[in-house]
Amino acid sequence: MNEITFVDVAISLALVVLAFGVSRFWKVPVQKEMSLGVLRAFVQLVAVGYALDRIFAIDQIWLIALVMLVMLAVGAREASVRTKKLPGAFWLAFSAMTTGTVVTLAIMLATGLFELKAMVIIPLIGMLVSNSMNAATLTINRLFDNLTENRLAVETSLALGKNWRQASQRFRIQAATAGMVSIFNFMKTVGIVALPGAMTGMILAGKPPLEAALFQLIIGYMLLSAVTLTVVMTLELMVRRFFTPFDQFSPPTRG
Amino acid sequence: MNESRTTLDVTHLSRTIQTNGKQKTIVNDVSFSFTCGTIYSIVGPSGAGKSSLLRLINRLDEPNTGDVIFNGADYRTYSPNELRRHIGYLFQTPYMFPGTIAENVRYAAEDIDDNRVAELLEQVGLSSDMADSEVDNLSGGEKQRVALARLLATKPSVILLDEPTSSLDPTATKGIEKLVRRIAEDRCLIVIMVTHDPQQALRLEGETLLLVKGRLIEHGSSERVINDPQSDEGRRYKDRELT
Ligand SMILES: Nc1ncnc2c1ncn2[C@@H]1O[C@H](COP(=O)(O)OP(=O)(O)OP(=O)(O)O)[C@@H](O)[C@H]1O
Ligand SMILES: [Mg+2]
Repeated sequence: MNEITFVDVAISLALVVLAFGVSRFWKVPVQKEMSLGVLRAFVQLVAVGYALDRIFAIDQIWLIALVMLVMLAVGAREASVRTKKLPGAFWLAFSAMTTGTVVTLAIMLATGLFELKAMVIIPLIGMLVSNSMNAATLTINRLFDNLTENRLAVETSLALGKNWRQASQRFRIQAATAGMVSIFNFMKTVGIVALPGAMTGMILAGKPPLEAALFQLIIGYMLLSAVTLTVVMTLELMVRRFFTPFDQFSPPTRG
Repeated sequence: MNESRTTLDVTHLSRTIQTNGKQKTIVNDVSFSFTCGTIYSIVGPSGAGKSSLLRLINRLDEPNTGDVIFNGADYRTYSPNELRRHIGYLFQTPYMFPGTIAENVRYAAEDIDDNRVAELLEQVGLSSDMADSEVDNLSGGEKQRVALARLLATKPSVILLDEPTSSLDPTATKGIEKLVRRIAEDRCLIVIMVTHDPQQALRLEGETLLLVKGRLIEHGSSERVINDPQSDEGRRYKDRELT
């Protein structure tokens, strides 16, 4: 592909017009959402493009750290919105996602596989954070439902002398599996059902497919590490809040 | 261990909870001394706090005030897990862990052998042939009995039973009553059993505690508390339940 300009985007608007017309013709009442979505995507992506342009040019560690912090905060906020039932979900998600992202990134930098350059690191952080966010959200929701819906099971274990860890084990395992299901699905279907974004991008940018595939593999393994760490941290931090220090079941309530 | 006789005292035990903004005292200043070898029936209207009292003794809930003294020591000096192995609690609705009957019986006593599992099952009136069948298809009464076997497997010295016979037929109910009486006497256990049936309290003999609105209104021999209550609340309970 040649250099892409706003003119190219304007041309691609033809597709938007098509989608608009089709939905209108078939009376699917989504024109409002569609217009809003198209506009929103435009504004957000162009803004991010400009911002990254600047950030890559400055290319300072403090700036990378700041960007990561903002991404984690926005991600944790989104996770806490999607986990309405659990009070204090923001800090829970934030801590867990930070652990998953930072540890994974630190290992990658330590191995020297990636350079500490904004252009390299920031897109990676984006992938790590969004995957960690989904994992944290799914884990929190599943564990919350599991524990609150199985009060009798949990208390039966406790009453038989088991500690909180044993009494919640089955439910923690189920929540962990729920949190990791999308990364497992990703690894199962990757390359067969769809080419993942990073790989597609590299191929479109003219890199040899094998190189793109190897790069994508590294990304996949990074995501696995970040997601697993996030899930485990989420569980560790969250499950304690359902029990008193005396192994009594006491789920957190709102307000 | 069997040298010293089990003792259990509750003193000024209270628990207050918040329900939709309002405070409600569900167990109100209950004091009582239990001695081993006796069966204690707890009776009282629905919502009187019978289950809540058992939960406090098992330390599944924390009291706002008061103490539980188990074998002469404040129950807080035991780890909650250890305490609950000594003071077993059978829930009003039995919960079965997924798996077989034997796995459930072994849930909190991993090291008992097949013979012991069979013995426990026979004790609660189940056939030991059932040990390896899955718990899914059990009736309510059978679940209740598996739960009782699971509880006895940990060799508690106090057992708290929350309406253990409410889903059993009369024959099975008599079987459990007989079992409970026997283990109380033979091993000098303290058995505290919630029942909604005053006749059951009479059959079990022993002592009866009448709870009304969280308060211990009357206690004494079951015969006396059920048939000849001294308080207004006691008479009202008798009129409602025995007519
Ligand atoms: N977690 C809770 N939330 C709100 N209210 C509760 C809770 N636990 C107990 N209560 C209230 O405390 C009171 C005592 O309940 P408890 O279950 O101990 O009564 P009970 O004597 O066992 O009744 P039943 O014979 O129906 O089993 C009831 O009014 C009940 O509504
Ligand atoms: Mg009850």
